[in-house]
Amino acid sequence: MNNYQCFVRLNRPSIFSSTVHVKDTWGKPVTRQEMLSKKPLYILEKIKENLERLNEKMEVMIELQRHGRKDFQPLPDAPLDVMTLLSMPDHLRKTAMTICRCGRATATEVSQQTTRARAVESAYLNQLVIMGHLKKERKGRKAYFYIDRDSQG
Amino acid sequence: MTKIIAVHSYKGGTGKTLLSVNLAASLAQHGKNVCLFDLDFRAPSLFAILKVENAECWLNDYLNGACDINKVLIDLSSRIQGDGKFFTGLANPATEAIRDMSAKDRKWEMRALGRLLSLRNTLLNDQEFDYLIFDTSPGLQYSSINAIVTADFVVVATTADRSDVNGTRRMLRELYNLFEKKTGLVINKVLDSDSKSKKDEMNNKVKSVYQVPLLGLVPCFCEILRAEGNLIFVQDKPNHPFTKIVDEMTRKIVANKVN
Repeated sequence: MNNYQCFVRLNRPSIFSSTVHVKDTWGKPVTRQEMLSKKPLYILEKIKENLERLNEKMEVMIELQRHGRKDFQPLPDAPLDVMTLLSMPDHLRKTAMTICRCGRATATEVSQQTTRARAVESAYLNQLVIMGHLKKERKGRKAYFYIDRDSQG
Repeated sequence: MTKIIAVHSYKGGTGKTLLSVNLAASLAQHGKNVCLFDLDFRAPSLFAILKVENAECWLNDYLNGACDINKVLIDLSSRIQGDGKFFTGLANPATEAIRDMSAKDRKWEMRALGRLLSLRNTLLNDQEFDYLIFDTSPGLQYSSINAIVTADFVVVATTADRSDVNGTRRMLRELYNLFEKKTGLVINKVLDSDSKSKKDEMNNKVKSVYQVPLLGLVPCFCEILRAEGNLIFVQDKPNHPFTKIVDEMTRKIVANKVN
């Protein structure tokens, strides 16, 4: 779903114009007025989430361009063993080592350990995903990076 | 904070196992809870030094994912005078096990690294061990590099031998530095180390050639050779000069003054 489709879906009037009671996340009935008051905040949150995703993709594009690659397809699983770590460029090794130690972390958590900018770490982490060394999983607004030791082999 | 220590060297016969065992025993004497692991899967030796012939599970089994780490640990605290606990995890000395460990692929090594890294949580955080010491195999073996990546501090054992100096210098530059590891150098089998001029010469050499802190200078002791691996010096020979050198290293590690 692209940004436009998301925006259209969020702004469909049907939910708000109907008289049917809507339930919130916990199953509690919510009045039409309550729902309307929450709508702008919800839209803003969705826009922010999508902008963050776009930003991540752009960071990957920039990183790929810098290293002369044009494709977006992640490579097949490549084990992140110590010899691979040794052969990596310094900037990626630092990020990969942090994930090795943490097991699973967001770009923000990695940046706190490496003392580099979050955007920089996000680009390096996404590059490691493309190289097949890391896996990425989204949970709500957060993207977690981890080494899939179980499925690799 | 130094919690996991890997004892490594470029060449064999530099005294890694001697240092590992005595460092672990000395830390236990200082009231620390220590676990000493044999990560030299190609030439296991701790079982012989510590005189443990049979283990319920070996470290090999833990890295293979076949058992929990607690099944590997052997309590040897009764052998050490001090308030600290002294545990060990041994490598399987059977020829079949050595052959099996030599044939592991990159994916297995990656999982083994994950299991070594998880020891920080299971042993240091959950079971209140103060220090884990990894006795490694020399050179660029997978198991040794896994241990170095896991460790907070690497004790690099070396001798004055020309080939050893050359290889150690390269390893410092191309291995420990790349992984941003804190290192401390122990020069073993030093001749005439009692003279002040020799000590100064070695100190200058370490500064100019290796550019890392010197953790200790160990003279060539005939008593160590005569002991034939039967003694844990810090326990059995408390007044021996070697014991005093190891104690000094321990104090530096405990005080976190290794760098």
